[in-house]
Amino acid sequence: MRRMLGLAFLVLALWQAPAMAEPYLAVQTGFKCSQCHVNPTGGGMRNAFGDVFAQTQLPAKHIDTGSDVWAGALNSFISIGGDVRFQAEAQKVRNQPAVNDFDLEQARVYLEAAVIPQRLIVYADEQVAPGGALNREVYGLYWSANHDWYVKAGQLYLPYGLRLEDQTAFVREDVGINMTTPDRGVEFGYLHGVWDGQFAVSNGTAGGPTVSNGKQYSLQLSFVQPIWRLGVAANLNDSAVSGRRGAYGLFAGLKTGPIAWLAEADYVDDQTVANGGLKSAAGLLEANWLIARGHNLKITAEELRPDTTVSHNEVARWSAVYEFTPIQFLQLRLGARVLDGIPQADSQHQQLYFLELHAFF
Amino acid sequence: MQFITAARSAAIVTLVLAGGCAGSGKGLDQNGEPISAGGGASEPLTPDFQSIQDNVFTPICTRCHIGASAPEGLQLDEAHSYALLVGIPSVEQGSLLRIKAGDPDNSYLIRKIQGGPGITGGQMPLGGPPLSQDTIAVIRQWVAEGALQSAMAQAPTAIAREELQRAFSVTAVSPAPGASLQAPLSQIVVAFSHEIDVSSINPSTVVLEKVGASELMPALEPAVPVALSLADGNPTTLLVRPLAPLDAGTYRLTLRGTGAGAVADLSAVSLGTDEYFVFTVEASS
Repeated sequence: MRRMLGLAFLVLALWQAPAMAEPYLAVQTGFKCSQCHVNPTGGGMRNAFGDVFAQTQLPAKHIDTGSDVWAGALNSFISIGGDVRFQAEAQKVRNQPAVNDFDLEQARVYLEAAVIPQRLIVYADEQVAPGGALNREVYGLYWSANHDWYVKAGQLYLPYGLRLEDQTAFVREDVGINMTTPDRGVEFGYLHGVWDGQFAVSNGTAGGPTVSNGKQYSLQLSFVQPIWRLGVAANLNDSAVSGRRGAYGLFAGLKTGPIAWLAEADYVDDQTVANGGLKSAAGLLEANWLIARGHNLKITAEELRPDTTVSHNEVARWSAVYEFTPIQFLQLRLGARVLDGIPQADSQHQQLYFLELHAFF
Repeated sequence: MQFITAARSAAIVTLVLAGGCAGSGKGLDQNGEPISAGGGASEPLTPDFQSIQDNVFTPICTRCHIGASAPEGLQLDEAHSYALLVGIPSVEQGSLLRIKAGDPDNSYLIRKIQGGPGITGGQMPLGGPPLSQDTIAVIRQWVAEGALQSAMAQAPTAIAREELQRAFSVTAVSPAPGASLQAPLSQIVVAFSHEIDVSSINPSTVVLEKVGASELMPALEPAVPVALSLADGNPTTLLVRPLAPLDAGTYRLTLRGTGAGAVADLSAVSLGTDEYFVFTVEASS
């Protein structure tokens, strides 16, 4: 029956879980995530560089605002930002009626207080819609004088692999670390030259204040070059009571002309599942073709093995998303995702079509 | 030149994409489990618990409802689902049971999968396509017919004999041992392998305590006052309900399994050992 638990991943829904990170941009530009984001591991609020980049490099057309240029700063200490995603989507599962709707996928606001400019910040990432307010990240972050290391403490996204925009990607779902699963803990980061590394200790799934070894440990290390990068990641969720869950990943980026490639492969050994545990694997290959400024075509192929001890159970997913950024801070995304699994499982045969309006600042 | 480079790259992409494909499903049931392994859901959905577990809970609901961090403490894997559903008050709507045997209209699970009325949060499966009307109808029928566990309903004598031969034990606890969850916490659910002797359930055999720096140390405070009852229509499951909301801290639930008056089943078989379950309540943010 343990194999059936692997089916937790077989019915991966095709809906969009919005987020903000776009690691392909880092590959296209050769930057580290910290170049454009307040969070050194990417995602969430953009810093002043990221705001300017979003206005001058992303859109097909830049509307001139004269000397009034938005850079997120309300004053020299306080900066704000936000993301709103609204979507029209249609979803079809084999042998079920199609479902379509309009959906406010997400509205998020960010606040950064640079209480000691360039050195000490307090940061909050709050989801304000749909539903009630939901805190995603709140932490204090201390930078070294030359920004080659930092310490972060609070509630934070865990460092592991590619911080993709699509939180439902197999590699993010299988590992269980994405931008919907922040944890409370401490993160140490090292960003020096070609190296970009993080180590975090957090409560974990079952960690409590009195369970001495029931913590979660996350580690990632990247070697970053202008046109390519390679990284490794590991996560150990060490529940003292219910067992260990380990995830191990390899991820990479490569720029070939106008195409930025992303790849990640992960292996998960979950000993919290009864009857001998569950071992699974997931892979992703994504091409982002910068057709012209403001026009990006994202093609993604994914593969999931929900239980590596079982043959013929692979699930595949293909996505094609056209991203059009006509003007600064506004993006339209037209996409299709197709899930294809074993013939006898209707839930593994789905299609999703969506048109998304993404406004950000 | 740039276009040629892109086209060449796109061709490589196409080749790679063509290489990735779904499994043939050979030798597997519709849940992807080897047929030879037994169980599974190769049979169509029928109004019995095992079929619903195999066709709905396991392949669909356990995407989220599994493990120590399952939403609302509701774990829907096979080891936990029946005990945490039938006769258990809903966390979101405390006036309703998750499954009220014989009454699908007043079963919160049914309302959640139908999309209302009076539900808190979204329709289940959250974010995915709703269950088909045929599937919902089968689940409603199972509830209307008493929400029995499949095997017990089909072969009560044989199963009862087998059950009696097995040791009396705890099969599931919610919150999961070691879990850390946000206040408020309204109930603790303990499922047993056999029907419980209700006379063995009292404040001396079921004790909830707040513990200090280590869960292994004696509690420094008096036991937390609780109401003890069996789940409605599910006499193998014990409900422990604190009379007042639990504040932040670590708690230990103790079930006395030895000595006179130990927690026992209807055949007077006791647990045989004291059982401890520790979980943490965090202050609500």
